[in-house]
Amino acid sequence: MPELLAFRAVDTYYGDLHVLKAVDYRIDAGEIVSLLGGNASGKSTTMKAIMGIVAPARGDVVFEGQSLKGVSVAERVRRGIAPVLEARRLFPRMTVFENLEMGAYTRTRGGEFAEDLQRVFALFPRVEERLKQLAGTLSGGEQQMVAIGRALMARPKLLCMDEPSMGLSPVFVEQVFDIIQTINKQGTTIFMVEQNANMALQIAHRAYVLQTGQVVLSGAAAELRENAMIREAYLGQMQVN
Amino acid sequence: MGWEAVYLQQVINGLSLGAMYALLALGFTLVYGILELINFAHFNVFMVGSFVGMAALELFGLSGQTQILTGFPLVGVMTFAFIATLSVAGALGVIIERFALRPLRGIPGTVGMITTIGVSYILFNIVLLTVGAGSWNFPNPLPRISWPIGGATLELRSLLIWIIALVLMTGLHLFVNKTRLGKAMRATAQDAEAARMMGVDVDRVIVTAFFLGSALAGAAALIFGLYYNYTSFIIGYTAGLRAFTAAVLGGIGSVTGAMVGGLIIGLIEALGGQLIAVRWTDVIIFSILVLVLVFAPTGLLGRANPTKS
Amino acid sequence: MAERDTAAPRQGTIGAEVFAFLRRASPLARVAPHVRPRIGITLVFAFALLFPLIIDRNDADIDSAANALAFAALALGLNIVVGFAGLLDLGYAAFFAIGAYAYGVFASAQFMPAWSGFWEPFAWLQLVERFHQDSGGDLVHFTVSFWLMLPLSAGLAAFFGVLFGAPTLRLKGDYLAIVTLGFGEIVPIIARNWPSVTNGAMGLNGVAAPRFLGQSFGISATPYYFVGMGLIALLIFTSTRLKLSRIGRAWMAIREDEIAAAAMGVNRVKFKLLAFAIGAAFAGATGTFYVAKLQTATPEMFMFPVSVMILVMVVFGGIGSVWGVVLGAIILQILQSWFLEDLSQWLHALGRLIGVEWLQRIELASSIELIFGIILVTMMLYRRQGLIPATRRVQALSLAEQTATVELAAAPPAQRLRAIGDITFRGDEPLLDIKGLTVRFGGLVALREVGLTVPPRSVVAVIGPNGSGKSTLFNAVTGLVAPESGNVRFAGYPIERQPPHVVLGRGMARTFQNIRLFPNLTVLENVMIGMHARLHTGAVGALLRLPATQREEAAARAHCLDILALFGNRLIPRVDHVVSSLSYANRRRLEIARALASNPKLLLLDEPTAGMNPAETLELAGQIKNLNQHGLTIVLIEHKLDVVVSLADNVIVLDHGEKIAEGPPDVVRRDEEVIRAYLGRSAAIGSAAVA
Repeated sequence: MPELLAFRAVDTYYGDLHVLKAVDYRIDAGEIVSLLGGNASGKSTTMKAIMGIVAPARGDVVFEGQSLKGVSVAERVRRGIAPVLEARRLFPRMTVFENLEMGAYTRTRGGEFAEDLQRVFALFPRVEERLKQLAGTLSGGEQQMVAIGRALMARPKLLCMDEPSMGLSPVFVEQVFDIIQTINKQGTTIFMVEQNANMALQIAHRAYVLQTGQVVLSGAAAELRENAMIREAYLGQMQVN
Repeated sequence: MGWEAVYLQQVINGLSLGAMYALLALGFTLVYGILELINFAHFNVFMVGSFVGMAALELFGLSGQTQILTGFPLVGVMTFAFIATLSVAGALGVIIERFALRPLRGIPGTVGMITTIGVSYILFNIVLLTVGAGSWNFPNPLPRISWPIGGATLELRSLLIWIIALVLMTGLHLFVNKTRLGKAMRATAQDAEAARMMGVDVDRVIVTAFFLGSALAGAAALIFGLYYNYTSFIIGYTAGLRAFTAAVLGGIGSVTGAMVGGLIIGLIEALGGQLIAVRWTDVIIFSILVLVLVFAPTGLLGRANPTKS
Repeated sequence: MAERDTAAPRQGTIGAEVFAFLRRASPLARVAPHVRPRIGITLVFAFALLFPLIIDRNDADIDSAANALAFAALALGLNIVVGFAGLLDLGYAAFFAIGAYAYGVFASAQFMPAWSGFWEPFAWLQLVERFHQDSGGDLVHFTVSFWLMLPLSAGLAAFFGVLFGAPTLRLKGDYLAIVTLGFGEIVPIIARNWPSVTNGAMGLNGVAAPRFLGQSFGISATPYYFVGMGLIALLIFTSTRLKLSRIGRAWMAIREDEIAAAAMGVNRVKFKLLAFAIGAAFAGATGTFYVAKLQTATPEMFMFPVSVMILVMVVFGGIGSVWGVVLGAIILQILQSWFLEDLSQWLHALGRLIGVEWLQRIELASSIELIFGIILVTMMLYRRQGLIPATRRVQALSLAEQTATVELAAAPPAQRLRAIGDITFRGDEPLLDIKGLTVRFGGLVALREVGLTVPPRSVVAVIGPNGSGKSTLFNAVTGLVAPESGNVRFAGYPIERQPPHVVLGRGMARTFQNIRLFPNLTVLENVMIGMHARLHTGAVGALLRLPATQREEAAARAHCLDILALFGNRLIPRVDHVVSSLSYANRRRLEIARALASNPKLLLLDEPTAGMNPAETLELAGQIKNLNQHGLTIVLIEHKLDVVVSLADNVIVLDHGEKIAEGPPDVVRRDEEVIRAYLGRSAAIGSAAVA
């Protein structure tokens, strides 16, 4: 499968703090790839680097073979990368429908919008019921549905999800992961930053494990599931060169 | 007039004033909602707008209160004055944002506000030096038609003011709720980073907010001229104080709040002038401002929190 | 070799060579660096004192100079509020007005109530005179002496400073400014509409001129000039003494980061009000001076434009810099009174020469406010620190110092650690006892019924995944966040809901996850603020600098240097460097040093090793262990489990706001619940969880 997104030896800094250290990722089209790691590992910085909020000091983020250096956030969305933000971050005083509209902001209106909307409704019937409700009044799980729906309205090639299970009840967590699998089967590549390693490894094809800015483990999800070293990495104990 | 008629008259006056303050407060709150910036310069853009309006009307040879137009000439002249004032005011707002505020975007604290004080000063003094310290006659080409209502009088110009305000507020409402850019503005005000990640050009949104906000100030300026029949270099401060208090009272950052606050302040000014002496109106308004900020900082309808979390 | 003086031009250019030669050859080179400013100041004052005698005795010029002094005094006062404490006061002229009208009432024929027996003692004190009206009835004529009014006005203005400042304490910066603007406008409006006391817009009349040694000041400006000089000298002295004292440090801490300041023991309410009061006092005294000189006062003199003008002087001169704002005020006054006049004349001549009409009519002096606006905007855009910046940029470390190998404690640990003071805790009960702590933010429960016991001299670690409530626990215990329910007892005292500075006073200090140092202050100043609660110098002590105060400051400084020395030569060479120039790891160390400076019994460390590499982590863990061995009790939020294992006696694990495990580190790290919390619950369907 062709490579969709890659990080090539990316270094990022926060002031003089070295956050990501020569990090390499590769996400092929059609995959679900998960980025795992404990606290302060550099996961959210990875998301920011993909979306263009943070620029690498060294190295390159490459999408569909083209470097994203200097490419604006809006342009990245146009090219096919859509985010599902950490803690949802819906627009609280806009309706569910308006939030979905904002997801489609970079797409020219027309028949596509209606199609995309139908696709979202098919995945999330609850969302269709609540179209006119203000997004801030929904429950956490419902907001997550809308947030994913909002990202899908951009008809992305790559869906970047930042901690989709955070703050959700176990019931919703399962639903969300089910839906992620469904979306992936429909053809969308998914890159998922996730703290919950167990759930993530059940649906991902491959995964990377990050600890203090370095990739310490990577490979097929099936292998990583059996690997006791994951626990070490999460608990910040892996010896790193 | 019996006292009911007197009060009714003041209510009518108060609503006209309120319409003007509502528009001025609305423009101010549009920018605040997105940038959380108190833009002092807004009120002197208003003042500049009134001189632009006056000049626009005088282009047609109108001056003073004596010439009256009717029919198509009236509509034509008023429309031209309207468009001219709003455009120039809007452009001025855009220029201010581009050169004085954009370089400072992102710096926390009061730096931005202090800069707007400086810009406000610059506008004020340029006008003062150019046109001098007196009052200027604002042409009033409207026919002197009025209708009696319960002992009070409703003039055509009050009606016109209400219509202008209503049209503009409806237009703004439609813009922020039905157009793509308008929704992008609302989204940016609620979560600028998330909006950026939807592909919104936040710079463009901010420029639009400044343009619209300043244009509304221009409209308010035109209303001021029509209502009071004069303009002067100082009106930015006097009307500005009231509009600012209106925005805070209604809830700073809230569009509906600005409208409600504007009407309330207009009524307070008219009735207050009637009940207490006019010279204390400023103190009353300032006191309302201070009391709201100290005891109920979010105002009537607002969410923005002026207190430290 | 490379010059260490960063002010010199680059090496190698001819200019640099000449410059260097001149520096070496000049007499200044033979004078020690710390003496140079004093010589400079003496020269300036000498010139200023001789000024009226030097220039041709043009009274108008001296009068302008006296005005300049008045505005310099106002700028100094505003500098305390805005520059030191960071409170933007847009209504500062109100205090100027209060001082002015106070003199106007108590030293003029303006306000003359009817005479009664009540006034007899005041007449005996020569504060009032009995004025006999021809139309019958006697009136009180206030005749308080100018010299007495100066401090009285200052006091009255200070009172109003507290009154106007109190409502603003909880407001954010821009709203605080608006409220002060409101008060600033209300005062002149009241003045205009209260003619019996102030004579409204027509201005006070019959203001008495000051008398000195029996002579009235008369109409010459020269005596006023010297009074102004005295006033300025006093205010500069006061400002500088306060700035370099515990008070000044507390103000700057509030300005830089109010929350961190509170957590380090600064009573925010008290110090903010103190800043308002002292700033207002300066303006009050100046108001009296100005009115005495002008012999009248009108409300127009105290309106918003005046407050803005003073702000422009402060911004132009340098926010926070005492000499800067004096210079700024004087330059802008000179601009207004002399320079623009002369420039206008010059433009008139030019206009006549080249035949341009409007040039011949231009009057620049009346556009002074426009120029102020332009200056304000320009300074904000291009040079926010002003002419003379308040923070000095210290020269960079030499290459040798930068690459020096890190040396840690050369002296034996026990001796170094004695620097922390007596911290052993006597008693059997736990040092920190938390029961049933619940914290709610809106609908979200951040902590639910959390309990924790920390025995003295132990190390307890708090661990858990992101968002589990660890920092919230610290915030609730130290008073930054109010809990919904629960008890916290520290050394036997209940401290839940106490403000942060009280908690620090009791002996609990903390660091922050996101590092909250005071960015524009130096390393040493940051640590000295940690000592705030343990020092006792007040405003009076700061001004007089009595021997007791000097001893206290010297001891504090030595104590802070000792604490910094715990980190070897990492921080000591950078003692006068501004925090923003420190590396990330050094900032973490500095934050710990600052907390240690307060002689805590209990130290709360929030992710102290975050961002450090393994070597740095190991080093810091060792230092923490040393501190604990010396008797300091420590509670530690930490992600790196090997650090936890090596340091902690007891570990509690939080997940989603609840305590899910507790015990010795070895037991906890193998606990299934804990592992599940970190790695996440698996689905009901699907393969086995990670072993």
